[in-house]
Amino acid sequence: MPVQSFQPGDLYLLSPELSMALLALLVMVVDLFVKRRIVTVTVALVGLIVPLAFIISLALSLDFSVAHRAFFGMLVVDQYAIFFQIVFLIIGAIMLLASYSYVGKYVRADGEFYTLMLFSLTGAMFMASTTELISIYISLELTSIPLYVMAGLIRTSERSAEAAVKYVLLGAMSSAILLYGFALLYGLTGTTDLMGIATSIKTGFHNGNVMELVADIFIIAGFGFKISAVPFHMWAPDIYEGAPTPATAFFSVASKAAGFAALIRVFMDGGLFQINLLSLVVILNIVAIMTMTLGNFVAAVQTNVKRMMAYSSIAQAGYILVGFTASVASGSSAGNAAVLFFILVYVVTNLGAFSGIIALANATGGERIEDFRGLAKKAPLLSAGTAICLLSLAGIPPTAGFVSKVFIFTAAWGEGQTLLVVVALINSIVSLVYYGRIIKAMYFDAPLKEERLATPIGLSASISLTAAAVIVITFASQVILAIANPAAGSLLAFLLGR
Amino acid sequence: MIFASPLTWLILLPVLGAIATILAPRPVARWLALLFTAGTFALSLGLFFNIALNGYNFGDLLNPAYATKMPWLDFTAGSVHFKIDYFLGLDGLSLPMVILNALLTVLAIIGGWEKPRVKEYMALILLLEAAVMGVFLAFDLLLFFLFWEGELAPMFILIGVWGSETMKHGMPGRIYSAWKFLLYTFFGSAFMLIGILLLYFSLGGQTADMRFFATHFQHGTVSFLGITMGLQLLTFLLIYLGFAVKIPMFPLHTWLPDAHTDAPTEVSVILAGILLKMGAYGLIRVCLTLLPLGVQQFAGWLAVLAVINIIYGAGICLVQTDMKRLIAYSSVSHMGVVLLGVAAAAAGFGGLAFRTAALTGATIQMFSHGIITGMLFFCVGVIYDHAHTREIAVFGGVAKKMPLLATFFTFAGLASLGLPGLAGFVAEYMTFTSSFPIWTPITVISVFTMILTASYLLWMLKRVFYGPFNTRWQWLPDATIRESIPLYALAAFIVFVGIYPAFLINVITPSLTAIMHTVSLVLH
Repeated sequence: MPVQSFQPGDLYLLSPELSMALLALLVMVVDLFVKRRIVTVTVALVGLIVPLAFIISLALSLDFSVAHRAFFGMLVVDQYAIFFQIVFLIIGAIMLLASYSYVGKYVRADGEFYTLMLFSLTGAMFMASTTELISIYISLELTSIPLYVMAGLIRTSERSAEAAVKYVLLGAMSSAILLYGFALLYGLTGTTDLMGIATSIKTGFHNGNVMELVADIFIIAGFGFKISAVPFHMWAPDIYEGAPTPATAFFSVASKAAGFAALIRVFMDGGLFQINLLSLVVILNIVAIMTMTLGNFVAAVQTNVKRMMAYSSIAQAGYILVGFTASVASGSSAGNAAVLFFILVYVVTNLGAFSGIIALANATGGERIEDFRGLAKKAPLLSAGTAICLLSLAGIPPTAGFVSKVFIFTAAWGEGQTLLVVVALINSIVSLVYYGRIIKAMYFDAPLKEERLATPIGLSASISLTAAAVIVITFASQVILAIANPAAGSLLAFLLGR
Repeated sequence: MIFASPLTWLILLPVLGAIATILAPRPVARWLALLFTAGTFALSLGLFFNIALNGYNFGDLLNPAYATKMPWLDFTAGSVHFKIDYFLGLDGLSLPMVILNALLTVLAIIGGWEKPRVKEYMALILLLEAAVMGVFLAFDLLLFFLFWEGELAPMFILIGVWGSETMKHGMPGRIYSAWKFLLYTFFGSAFMLIGILLLYFSLGGQTADMRFFATHFQHGTVSFLGITMGLQLLTFLLIYLGFAVKIPMFPLHTWLPDAHTDAPTEVSVILAGILLKMGAYGLIRVCLTLLPLGVQQFAGWLAVLAVINIIYGAGICLVQTDMKRLIAYSSVSHMGVVLLGVAAAAAGFGGLAFRTAALTGATIQMFSHGIITGMLFFCVGVIYDHAHTREIAVFGGVAKKMPLLATFFTFAGLASLGLPGLAGFVAEYMTFTSSFPIWTPITVISVFTMILTASYLLWMLKRVFYGPFNTRWQWLPDATIRESIPLYALAAFIVFVGIYPAFLINVITPSLTAIMHTVSLVLH
């Protein structure tokens, strides 16, 4: 039950988010006085150690057999929150490395870019750890509003401005839909606390409650925008294409991971799956199948790499939904454990693939698939890293993407979602086409110009790190699974009466 | 720990070598690649001598000479349990293949010494070696499949980047052939994966350990669309489709001539010498050992397909105008002998001694075909590197200019056609004599391949090296020292296996005896 008063110890539980927000402010101030990008980025990169230290300290010092709640039960620190917060820190670190040279070249507002990114990550960390509808909504806005600005940061480009405006409008609409769902839930149960909602639904509602189902649908739709699930995906390709490439990379991982973090939290902790399960599973099935199929098939015909990656990220959201559906359908944690693993791998690989795209855009300004021609001759390390990440996204062994897909499909099969597994397998084969096309362009086709490309150190670092991580995760997958399993289990802890 | 086991290092050394080669500066890179491949070869020989000195017991699947195991993936969801162990083992069946792989890779590195973009080339060859080592060592069926797939990517890039530029169907031949290779293999391995999963889940779904499957067999039948067949037969057919593409078995062989003609010499050597053996190895290690009943029900068809492979492959060689294409088709013919041996071993009748001998012959054929065809491809590579053509018709009497190469080429040709005293004879003689009592009419037809092989090889040698000298080749230099190192090495192996095959037979016998023991137990 929620603690009814504020205690100083609560600040310790809040320390990762708090230090992240302070770091964002610090970067803003530093940028004000020191007009050098290298200093700003170094401060940000080194500063990330502080929230990381707090997270590690929390993870080691807390006893996770009881729930740790703070601020009147609005905040919870469990393995699930910690898992996602580490994912967000990884995103932050890799993004700082990967965006360095591009931001200097195309975005005239370096300090703002990094500050906005850190604020957005603060919001994302909150999304993983709040258990109350209003705070979830506020953290969602904290995550999203910086993204809108980031999309429009190339001030001389009309496409960038267009992307920003579109993003604001569609984002606002999706927030409204989400709020509507939350309001319905509040009206039904009389509380905004997820535990309260779970208890209320458990005791007071029966199958066939239409209002609860409508609330479910609104919530799925609202978060569907954030995770770009079909049919709420239309914003993604245009905005991915128009925004600065590092911002696109950031949207594709941070917004998605945060959206899933909150979606899974609301459905599992809020116990929304306890009634109307059949309809809910049917809806999720439809959404997942549409997301995978549309994402993969449309990605296969794209010529612009950023648009292709937009559809690829839609497709990947579809795979994640498969695991989530399996968990919702069975009320067990196996599906979500696979989802957590998948999200970690997706974040790392997608950032790696985007680092390659950023490097290309950086050097040539090109972002069509033809621009990748002969890249292997011009920049061998870059191409090898990008190829490994793309293969991982396609799920080719022995990359981590393969393991993550195996986990998701095993979970879905084991929990009875046979149809989803079959559709996902067919989609995996389709996805080979478009990931393979980039690899083919890089390795087999003759380059348009022969000059060698110098990859900036930051991008080399981010590509090598992600590519190495993709291989290492494959072999250490059992270790990560051993972290993901209790993390997924901690969501159901309250409902299962612990 | 797994790192204490030499088997891990058989895979890890080439991987480390690949990383070192890519990172090293250009002049050192080749030497590093040579060092790491030589190290792997030395390690594989070391394992052999270690076993040989300690009682000559090479073991079988259930009692391997070396083994190492560590749990890797283990994921449970509901009733489904997905488990892959890192489980490597070395027994008499895998050891010759491991040595063959290590040997041919060293020679490929020497052969590819002057390639353009040599660092990437050697790194990919090393990665390929590691993946193939994994295939030969894996004792966990799912791990086996992962390594099986792992070999695809390096091979695809090797053909696609360093292959020939000759236009084929509107695109450079290297790209056409690389895609053809990839699509054929992918097609086969998709079915193979379904088959492996079927085997895994129908036997409890708790472990993919081959030793478990070798002691617990599938039973019962399945009905689908009104057709009823044994569960084992169905599993066998699914898994075998993947191997059949690789072997390659008629009618799935059409990728092979294309891949060979467009691949660079060393890649052809590895492709014919090692990759085709993966299919044959899988047929014995997975199909025959784990699914004996399924193979037995298919054995008649397998024998028929084998004779088609043997005769059709040899026949088509007679009309080839390109030397490399000719040798590629001769592989189809020779791999048919392996199929015939396995078909005889799996037959539900005939004396056990004959069937064991047929399987032994098939296994020796795997090894000897690896070294003989490797040598033939190296020879063609030398001619091509100097003359820039492989058309048989444009040559004539070049033995005058290339006496050393002509000697080697003739030697390899004679080995390939089965001259007594050389490796090819042992294998084919054993297989044919032992399968004669079992599949009599089929063997009788197959034996005529000896005549066909002699005709196409000798005829090619006559047109290229002997006869009137074509003055166009006045300037042609002979094989250099570097080019002839692989030829000397392979020639030595061919003579050794030909004269003293017992050496090899003693290695593989324990494994094959164990396999035939289970096969006969299950079938009777």
